[in-house]
Amino acid sequence: MLTTVFLSGPHLKTFVTGSPWTRAEDKPEFPDILILSRDLVQNFWPSLVDVAFPAPQRGSKSVVIDIEELMEWLARRVRIENPNLIREYLSQFTGLLDVIPKAVNAAKKHFPEAQLVIDVYRDPEIADCYLVLYIRLKHYDDSVIERLEKAEAEFLSHLVSKRGWIQLTTDFREPEGEDAL
Amino acid sequence: MPKKYAKPPIVEAVCEFRLTPETRWDLTVPGLLYERLKKAFPQKEQRMIQQMELTQGPEGLHQQTRMIELIMFWTEDKKILVQVGPRLLTINVLKPYPHWDGFKPRIEMAWESLQAAIEVQGLERISLHYINHIELPAQGVELAEYFEFYPSIGQRLPQQMVAFLTAVEFSYADGRDHCRVGFTRIPASGGRSLFRLDIDYFLARPGAVKPVEALAWVEEAHSRVEEVFEGCITDKLREMFEEVL
Repeated sequence: MLTTVFLSGPHLKTFVTGSPWTRAEDKPEFPDILILSRDLVQNFWPSLVDVAFPAPQRGSKSVVIDIEELMEWLARRVRIENPNLIREYLSQFTGLLDVIPKAVNAAKKHFPEAQLVIDVYRDPEIADCYLVLYIRLKHYDDSVIERLEKAEAEFLSHLVSKRGWIQLTTDFREPEGEDAL
Repeated sequence: MPKKYAKPPIVEAVCEFRLTPETRWDLTVPGLLYERLKKAFPQKEQRMIQQMELTQGPEGLHQQTRMIELIMFWTEDKKILVQVGPRLLTINVLKPYPHWDGFKPRIEMAWESLQAAIEVQGLERISLHYINHIELPAQGVELAEYFEFYPSIGQRLPQQMVAFLTAVEFSYADGRDHCRVGFTRIPASGGRSLFRLDIDYFLARPGAVKPVEALAWVEEAHSRVEEVFEGCITDKLREMFEEVL
């Protein structure tokens, strides 16, 4: 028997409609497969694992698994540009795995109305790159810079003694894509 | 004869040694280990991970989550690392996989360094875990063309799957060891399909392998992992991975 897997198609709509994400900014960048895999992994899988494979201890020691878990977490909150570049960057700077959720949460707290976009910034003049978390708003006012500073202050101390960097900033663009506000 | 591939799908391989509680451990151990490993693994980093403990009591399964700190020692190129936590040592290799000839000496070095730094009383768990990402250049894929391990869907069920998770646990060495194999689809971009095949061979009976036997166990585990991997894929994938003769 041949088993076929299809990624896209109208049948996906039922899953998406039934998903728990009600706010536009919560929608993942790749809604179809991410919602499905996340739902499977988070709602269905752990209970099955406990029943089928009881183990005295669990907890990932794998860099790849931790990165994938973070990517799934991010996809529910942030628009992800260049996911493979982000994966590559994180595999070089695993210390940031703890800091990124703090940065995202701080950005969400101070910019609840914003679309957040994460990407890898490459400096064209020197061989340097780092993660950048953009806030994108429909309307920019004078409070933006001050709010950015306040948000940054909430996670900056966690970057001390870490290799790698995540910069919270804005490119003053409007929200884009399906999850735009 | 084990097969060797020019383009292996391995994105990470992890060898883990978890010591029994009788082994004395204190905060100086990571430093002692770093002194012995710093030539090969000069870059230090640390991270917190969440560890879940499940204990079976009279009232059922009890779950406890705690944070532990892992100290990481990386090679200069950041492709291989050693992680040290409370009674825990792991050796991880990332893509590109250095093959067993390159991985095994790192395992030996880290394990022997640990034994030189402290007296290991026993092993609660050893594992050899391979994570493979297999990318296929299409969205609609006939799993049976590429895999010999995938969900079997009866004819009365819908034949179009949009997501799946398949996992089994095999028993080896009269139940001393188990091998957990997991297969799932993960997000991919650019009209491709990406699958994750996890093969985790581990000591299922705590203490059944003595510290002096640990490296021989790892060698045996590697042979079993290779067999399982070959059992999961078809010749079509072997061609894609380009066997080195």
